[in-house]
Amino acid sequence: MKRGWGLGFFLCMILWIVAPAAQAPAESPRSDAAGGDGEVPSLRLASARMAAFFSEYEARREEVQAGTVLAARTESEVAGELEEAEGAEPPTTSISDPIESVNRAFYRFNDKLYFWVLKPAAQGYRTVVPETARVGVRNFFYNLAGPVRMINCALQGKGEEAGYEFVRLFMNTTVGLGGFLDVAGGEAMQLERYEEDLGQTLGVYGMGPSFYIHWPFLGPSSGRDTLGTIGDSFLNPVNYLVPEAGYNAAVRVYDRVNETSLTIGDYEDLKRSALDPYVALRDAYYQHRENRIRE
Amino acid sequence: MGSIRAWMRISVCLILFFGLFPGAQFLWAGGPLEDIRSTTERILEILSDPGLEGSEHRAERRKKVREVVDERFDWEAISRSSLSTQWRNLSAAEKDEFTRVFSSLVERTYMDRLENYSGEEVIYLGEESDGGRARVRVKIVTRKNQEIPVEYRLRSGNGEWLVYDILIEGVSLVKNYRVQFNDFLTKSSYAELMERLKAKVEQQS
Repeated sequence: MKRGWGLGFFLCMILWIVAPAAQAPAESPRSDAAGGDGEVPSLRLASARMAAFFSEYEARREEVQAGTVLAARTESEVAGELEEAEGAEPPTTSISDPIESVNRAFYRFNDKLYFWVLKPAAQGYRTVVPETARVGVRNFFYNLAGPVRMINCALQGKGEEAGYEFVRLFMNTTVGLGGFLDVAGGEAMQLERYEEDLGQTLGVYGMGPSFYIHWPFLGPSSGRDTLGTIGDSFLNPVNYLVPEAGYNAAVRVYDRVNETSLTIGDYEDLKRSALDPYVALRDAYYQHRENRIRE
Repeated sequence: MGSIRAWMRISVCLILFFGLFPGAQFLWAGGPLEDIRSTTERILEILSDPGLEGSEHRAERRKKVREVVDERFDWEAISRSSLSTQWRNLSAAEKDEFTRVFSSLVERTYMDRLENYSGEEVIYLGEESDGGRARVRVKIVTRKNQEIPVEYRLRSGNGEWLVYDILIEGVSLVKNYRVQFNDFLTKSSYAELMERLKAKVEQQS
């Protein structure tokens, strides 16, 4: 008559054992390779789960005995703790900006430059040149900067990544017709991009961003990244292929107009969503660079 | 009679099992990645619905997308950590108001972005979770040969995963607003902040 309890308990145990195998499909191939037998991994996972449960239970019991845990914490208490933890985060871990007034002036200049010159030019260009061609031009300029990425991968001790960047550069320059086609990133090869630059390399070696600089024409940067940009320019073939200042500038302007034609709307979105676009851009730049350096 | 009792006992055991082991919930609910995937797919479904196309259905389409997004986003948590220290000084009504205004500002911006959706591919890279918190990483591949890495930060609540921050290309939405709010509040008052936010929301509609 009382067999229901046993069966119910048995079902729960089965669920408990099957559950980890269902939960962690990503882990099972590795266990498969190690165990060789199809049934072993799920058993191993289950036993690992049991072991984890019991060790947690033991730890909990010791805590209770030691008097550190008086009662099970309620949901609201946990929520309260989370709230505390988030509120306690340092409110501003962002980049320092000692020359804010100068930067803001340059920001306003770039803002006007975008809306009055760059955007209309890019819109005109966009109506004449089809998107495929513009993406090709973007690929071409991206590929040209390949040596910069490769050398910086190497400088950061990322040998494998440097190798991939070399393969990308080689494949896209040859098969990709001078870089217009991204063969290496395409369906067949699917090589990742490693967008390393000297600013990041300096960051990896422990240099902080120093302070924020909003350059006219060029936009957000920092003391460190400005140094990096100058260093990288020695590695960019554009500066050797087109050394004459006037033509060099023309090439850069063209690159910029082409790029803008593909990203119209991004800056407008930032402006619309931001309380203060200057501060939003400054912090986004900082966070983005820090994230790149960590990677 | 006896078998009914046995079944009842089995059910009691199962209910207790699922009640006592929050970890067992994934047996019917997906993990954080599955939650993000289902929300994304529902949004894309709305956007590609021929019955909702065109500017005449704009309001209806946005309303539907917003409903789906609201189910997945913990707007209160996003507002709380964006406003950081100032949050504690607010009354319950002010907190509600802030959450409402701030969430519509953020949502409208991303909605504008979504309106331009044109066959971008979403690649789900993976999830990491430690009990209560999770990170889901996806990659958006645009037709213009660009990759945008996006990371969702989620927290489990009532058996579901709710988003409390989004990082686009490594830039945290919450942190970015926190820096802006903080900067604003060192120069002006909370009332002015609220006024500016409202004006921002109005400006878009």
